[in-house]
Formats: sequence, structure tokens, C-alpha cells
Amino acid sequence: MKREMLTGNAAAAWGVRLAEVDYVPAFPITPQTEIIETLSGWISDGVMDTRFVTMDSEHSMITAAGAASATGVRVFTATSSQGLLYGFEMIYTVAGWRVPLVLINVSRGLSSPITLGPDHNDVLATRDTGFLQIHCENCQEVLDSVLMAYRMAEDERVLLPVIVNMDGFYLSFTREPVEIPDVEEVRRFLPAYNPSHAYFKAGHPMAQGVAVLGGEYYSYFKYQMHLASKNALDVYKKTCREFEKEFGRKYDTIEEYRLDDAEYVLIMIDSFSTMGKAAVDRAREQGIKAGLLRPRLLRPFPEEDIRKALNGKRSVAVIDQNISMGKGGILYSELAGCLYNEKNRPFLLSFIGGLGGKNISPEEFTFIFDQLVRGEEAEVETPHLLYTEQEWEGMQKLKDIAGKG
Amino acid sequence: MLKLRFHGRGGQGAKVASRTVGTAAFMEGCNVQDFPLYGAERRGAPISAFTRIARGQIMERGVIPDPDVIIVMDHTLLSDPQAAPLSGSNKGGVVFVNTPESPEQLKADYDIDALVITLDLTKIGLDMVGSSILSTLAGAVASRIIGIGEDSLKDAVEKELSGIIADRELLEKNIEAALYCFRSLEPVEMKTLQSEHGKSTVITMPFERARISSPAINAAASSILKQTGNWKVFRPFWDYDVCNKCMICVSRCPEGCISLNEEGFPSVDNEHCKGCLICVEECPKKAIKAVRGPVPDQVEVTGE
Ligand code: SF4
Ligand code: SF4
Repeated sequence: MKREMLTGNAAAAWGVRLAEVDYVPAFPITPQTEIIETLSGWISDGVMDTRFVTMDSEHSMITAAGAASATGVRVFTATSSQGLLYGFEMIYTVAGWRVPLVLINVSRGLSSPITLGPDHNDVLATRDTGFLQIHCENCQEVLDSVLMAYRMAEDERVLLPVIVNMDGFYLSFTREPVEIPDVEEVRRFLPAYNPSHAYFKAGHPMAQGVAVLGGEYYSYFKYQMHLASKNALDVYKKTCREFEKEFGRKYDTIEEYRLDDAEYVLIMIDSFSTMGKAAVDRAREQGIKAGLLRPRLLRPFPEEDIRKALNGKRSVAVIDQNISMGKGGILYSELAGCLYNEKNRPFLLSFIGGLGGKNISPEEFTFIFDQLVRGEEAEVETPHLLYTEQEWEGMQKLKDIAGKG
Repeated sequence: MLKLRFHGRGGQGAKVASRTVGTAAFMEGCNVQDFPLYGAERRGAPISAFTRIARGQIMERGVIPDPDVIIVMDHTLLSDPQAAPLSGSNKGGVVFVNTPESPEQLKADYDIDALVITLDLTKIGLDMVGSSILSTLAGAVASRIIGIGEDSLKDAVEKELSGIIADRELLEKNIEAALYCFRSLEPVEMKTLQSEHGKSTVITMPFERARISSPAINAAASSILKQTGNWKVFRPFWDYDVCNKCMICVSRCPEGCISLNEEGFPSVDNEHCKGCLICVEECPKKAIKAVRGPVPDQVEVTGE
């Protein structure tokens, strides 16, 4: 084990290197490119025994990843934002092949307008595809989650692909101290992939990804994917326990921050949760019983754990770093659905924040806690966009320059 | 927690500077987070980078609006309203500027309340390393100000550069120049200030018609207003005795800022020339030289 300053992208590359991946199809896109650059450097230097192929698009890249995984080798690929959307048709397709590849998505806001900062509309577009989803708050988690993702995906009860998500810039280009485990430790935790359903062997002919005509057949395959995804909950928890035993770092489906005696709760995912935790600390100093809940696993959705964690809380603010136009925050809807039948359910507020990487300032968190304390008397829309007067003034200036007066 | 913010121009090394001090502090057992911010990459465009250093956990992410130490790697950024390198600087903080000017002069010119420190990093870089890339020099300056040890700095420079520079001699020169900058300054007793958080100003965003709210620019020719002339370290200088008016430089300038004067000689728009020196590279007659220093007016140029 060694400890080094790594960006989220470098931590991702280390995870892939330690997982001893066989094949990496690649296509560049900011802010992901550093991952495949790092990997291609290691491969050309001979420290990784991996086949690396640059593809002509993300559509080809995801196809190649799925096809290679269907031959029974361990596959990694990475993309971001528009790239993910360009390959989207194949995201659904390879999930249906039941291949356990791992894809890192480095979140970045979607066009238009085109931008570079992060939000989660890209990764959340894949929530219904069959891909499992792990969301990371820091660089250490990125490395660890890649290892956990393979272990979970390759389990007989699952065999579905996994997306590990990190925020562009806030993690991808941010360096933090990261522990890099030794490869021997990793081999104990993550043994070689040994497929029993999809592989390539001379003398064992097999047709994969075949067509079915007839809804009853189609329904069978789709629902099997759902059941496999549900199985992944237990497999994930077991993976967490094994991971802690081997490496000493503890993960769960959700992270609870000062939640035990909390009455007012923030729900956030990915790297902005760090700022949410700081806001919880500040609110506590003011005497507000604040806490934060961070779902780490979004698919399968850890409904039971979330219900248990929120039982008896007064009010909860979901901060969605995404927007479904005409409806609101995606996570808010999922949370509301998860809590609806609870007798003792908290009052739910919905905020949209951090779109395109917009900062969420301490003042905005104060605003949220003010509203949380008011509970049903809160004066906010559903959803309420986190946007300050100062930012509005800046926007007015930009409009003037653009001749929008 | 100590918060440092670096301001430079694309290609000048602000990112590596923030990493150098970050790595040095990490080597001294601190918790560190460093992070560069740039848009679509362009050489010369203002960029910033950030380093947070703490004994305990770091509970912040993203840009630093209220830094304890500001490192300005390019003097001309001080008057750039978009880069706004002095924003958020406070009385107890430190502002370092790469400039031949004195701290007193800068304090007066830019109305700075913080402690100002200056050193001509560009000159040191050109003299000692032969380049205007100032990454390790600025990293050294920052390390010295916050009181990092010389050995940690040296190891950090070595570590940060060994990944990017293969030439051992160049690496040694960088270490030497970094140590020279380090020794030229004194550490500053840092008082980290707890930031004051104001009252909430969250608004409810109103609807605006698509004519306003679609991402289109209705104003014409706004790029003329954006002066990029101060992006350069070197500027092109024409020797009309050698020039044969072939116009190759005119067609090769990516900024379209070379036009012809009355006698048909190329003449540069210094308010928009970014100093990329492609014209110098492309001229078949070697009639263009790269020079430093202020821009003389056109009469002087023609007269030379
Ligand atoms: S240096 Fe030469 S080529 Fe580059 S912008 Fe200036 S005039 Fe144009
Ligand atoms: S390329 Fe050289 S010779 Fe040709 S016009 Fe420009 S300066 Fe003169």
C-alpha cells in the first residue's frame, strides 16, 4: 500500500490497473480523457498487460466493450456527457447482453448550451438501462469503487454492467491523498473473472444477444435483468464487507453523516456532498439538528436502507444536481416514491443546485436549512432552483454583452 | 486550513504551481486538495488553480472565493475584470505578484489592503531556465510564504516535473530556479481568517421569453472589445528591410491581427496579438523577431 496525491481520473486509472483489466476500448472527451491517457501510458510502458484500442466514436467504443466482455474477458471503458449520449443506444444493448463490464462516467452538463462543469443529467439518463450505478464523493472512493464494481458485476447472481460515477473537475481534476493498495491484496479481493454464461471457446459455439419476437419472451428477459439488479443489493453489501476486511475502508449503500439524532436532513450524491457535510456542521453549531444522507448506490436503489435512515425525521431536502424539465429533480421523485407508503414519513422539499458545476454557497445551504426548519410552512417552489441575487446580476451583465437587452 | 489561489495564463504553469505546493505540504504530512480551473483550453487565456492545506479534514471543494494567499503569475491579470485575481483578498492575507515593480507601487496602483510581495519571476525564469513557464517558480514562492521546508519543496518539484520533463538538465535548472525564488523571500506569519457568511440571497428565478433566454448572441463583433494583447510574454517585431511583402505571416496569424500598412508591409494589431509567435516561425525571410518589453508606437517601429 502507498499513499499519493491523485486526481479522480488518476485514481480511476489505478483502480483499472489493479483490477488487471484485459481490454480497454477508448475515445477521448473532457473531463474524462486523463483516465485513458494514463492507462495508455502504462500499457505502452509495459506495466499493464492490457489491449488498448482507440475507437472512432463512443457508439463503437461501448459496442466493442460489450462484445469483448461477451468473450469472457475483463473490460473497462470510460466516457462523459455527450459521449455517453452518443453511445446511448449501445448502453441499453450491452446491458441486455448481461456482460459485467465497468464504465466510468465523469459527469458533465449536457448540451445545449454546451459546457464543461458537472451535473448528473448525463449519468441519470442511464438509470433505466440495467447498468448498476455507484456514485463517488472523493478520489479514494473512485479507486475503491472500480474494484468493488467488478466484484459485484461478475457475481453469478448479478452479471450486469456497472457505471462508476464521479464529478468532472470537482473530482476528475482534483488531487487528494489516495491509498493505492498492492496488487496481491486486490487479487485476494477480486479473483480472475471466470464466466459461465458468456465466453469464447473454440469448440463451444454460442450465439449471443439474439432477437426475440413476442412480448412474453421479451418481458422475461427484461424482468430477469430487474431481478438481477435487485440481487445486486445483497451482493453489494457482501462486497462492502469483504472490501472492509481486506482494505479497512467501510462503505455501504448509503452514507449517513450526523444522521442518528438529526431532525433536518440533506440528501445529496457525489462530490458536492462534501459541501453539504460542512453545511451540516455549521447548522449544528447554530443548534439545528442537521444531518446528511448520501446514496452511494443508485441502481439498484437502496429503498429499505433509505426508509430506515429517514424514519422519524422531521423534514428532508433533496438537492438534485440535475433537472427533468417540466417535472423537477430526478432524485426527489425517487425519494418521494420510496417514502410514500411510510406512516412516519418526513416532509420533503426539493432543490435544484449545482447545475453545470455551479457552486452551492454556504448562504444557499443556510437558505435550505431555514426552509427545512419551517417544514410545511416553507416558502419554496417544488423544485426551487438554488440561485443567488449576485448570480442573477452576473447573468444580467452577460445578457447585456450578448445584446439581449 | 490554508487556502491558496493561483492566477496565470494558459501555458504559464498555474496548475503545476498549485500542485507543487500541494505535494510539498503533503510530504510534510498535511491533508491537501489541489484543483485547476480552465475552460476550453487556450494558451494565454486567464486560468486559476487552487490549493487547500489542512491538518484535519478538508470539507470544501471547488473554487476558493476567500484565499489566504493569492499568487498572481502575470502582472497584466491585475487589471483583467474577468480574471479578477484580487477578489476576496483580505487584510490578513498575502498577495504575491510576478513583476519587476515594488510592493508599494502595486499597493497604490491597485488599492490592495493585503500584504503585497513581488519578485520578477519571468526574468528569473528566462535567465535561469530559459523559459517563461513559471510553474515551479510560483510553486516555490507559495511554499516559502506559507512556511514549507526547503527539502520538501525540492522533493515536490522533482516529483511534479519528473512526470512532465524527460530532460534531466532542464529539471535541474528548474529546481535551481525554484530554490533561488524560495530563498529570495521570507515566510509570512499566516493568520487564517474564518470567512463570514452573509444572509441568504436565494431568489426565485422568473420566466423570460426565448428571445432573451436562448443561448444565442445577438450583438455583433464583440470579439473586438475583448483585448487579448496582454496575453503575450514575447511580441513579434518586423524588420521591414528584410521583409519582401510575401504576406505569409498575414495569412498564418490565427488571430487575423496582421494587416498591411500603406507601403504594403505587415503591421500588427497589438491589442489583439496574443504573442503565439506563429508569424515568427512562418516567415521565410526571418524578418520577424520575438522581443520583450513595451510596445513602441508604429512610427518608431517603421523608423528602426
Ligand atoms: S504572434 Fe504573430 S501570429 Fe501570433 S497572434 Fe501575434 S501577430 Fe498573430
Ligand atoms: S512572412 Fe516575413 S517576409 Fe513575408 S510578409 Fe511576413 S514578415 Fe514579410
